[in-house]
Amino acid sequence: MAEREIGPREGARRIVGALESAGVTLVPSVPDTWIGWLMEPMRRSSRLRVLDVAREEEAIAIACGAHLVGARAAVVIQNAGLLNSGAVIGSLVQLYRVPCFLLVSYRGDARDPIYYHAAKGRATEPTLRAWGLRFARAQGPSRIATQIAEAYAEIDTTQEPSVLLFSAEDLA
Amino acid sequence: MSVARTAWLEALLSGLDPAHDLLVAGLGANARYLPHMNVQVPYFALCDSMGAAIPLALGMALAKPERRLTALEGDGSLMMCLNCLVTVGAARPANLTALVFENGAYESSGGQNVPPVSVDFVAVARASGWAHAERLERSDDLLAALERGRRASGPCLLALPTIYDPTEPVPSYSERPDEIRANFARALTRGKA
Repeated sequence: MAEREIGPREGARRIVGALESAGVTLVPSVPDTWIGWLMEPMRRSSRLRVLDVAREEEAIAIACGAHLVGARAAVVIQNAGLLNSGAVIGSLVQLYRVPCFLLVSYRGDARDPIYYHAAKGRATEPTLRAWGLRFARAQGPSRIATQIAEAYAEIDTTQEPSVLLFSAEDLA
Repeated sequence: MSVARTAWLEALLSGLDPAHDLLVAGLGANARYLPHMNVQVPYFALCDSMGAAIPLALGMALAKPERRLTALEGDGSLMMCLNCLVTVGAARPANLTALVFENGAYESSGGQNVPPVSVDFVAVARASGWAHAERLERSDDLLAALERGRRASGPCLLALPTIYDPTEPVPSYSERPDEIRANFARALTRGKA
């Protein structure tokens, strides 16, 4: 099902700026439609290296590796892939306390027009709570850069991972 | 012909350079042996996270291009994350080597067989864009193969046929996750000094 294009993508540009300001250098990612829209400005950044990854668990492990040697990464994946990633979250991120940041496209929530995402939308927040992961929903293009900055500040303080769920309208 | 795991590890450790090399070991026997061996470089030996060694090493390799990363992974563990060969092939880091210890068994969980197919990891790596891949038969050949890999200017995979002996006295895990992380960070800092 084709998705309707979003507006000028100011939110997407603000995400890129926020990641750059947070000192992120590596963005391992598995795409979906919305992430594709986000990655267009991301790939134009001279400070971010977008790394195309075959599966989401890998993206998280790659971000952990970067963190363990002193670099900062942001994982960009869909919630379907997040739901794949329970093992690596439990056995790497949480076991070794590696504080990575996950920017997750939130398919299937009330704002998503595509019916077949609904089941994973219903599972996303309960699963994050069950895993004990700190998460927030993005609050639109005007707030998203601030939310990313706050997430990284919280990561630095708590040394715990953080998840920001975004929708297409947050990129507009 | 298969070789004892400790022979592969001893050959590897004899050629590491503390100024350049970092190791990541997947869970299992390699991770359990390393703390009991004379390892002169920082190493992160996983006690869980099956399948994560190569992606973890890839993140380190991309973040530290001045270092040489070697990931030690088992065949069963790599089968759990075979797609990582594609990701590495696309990223093409010149400072990442994967050593795949092939023993046909999930050694850590009691020696159950891996899926009974003779997977040619060398062929998969080549087909996935790795710059160099070969299977070795003697531990004495390991250092030369590592050097060939480095000269290839891209990721290198070496398949190491390894003896599975259920009576082998593999040490238990001797470091807790917090210790593994702290020891790695400390060794990295020492390397900078």
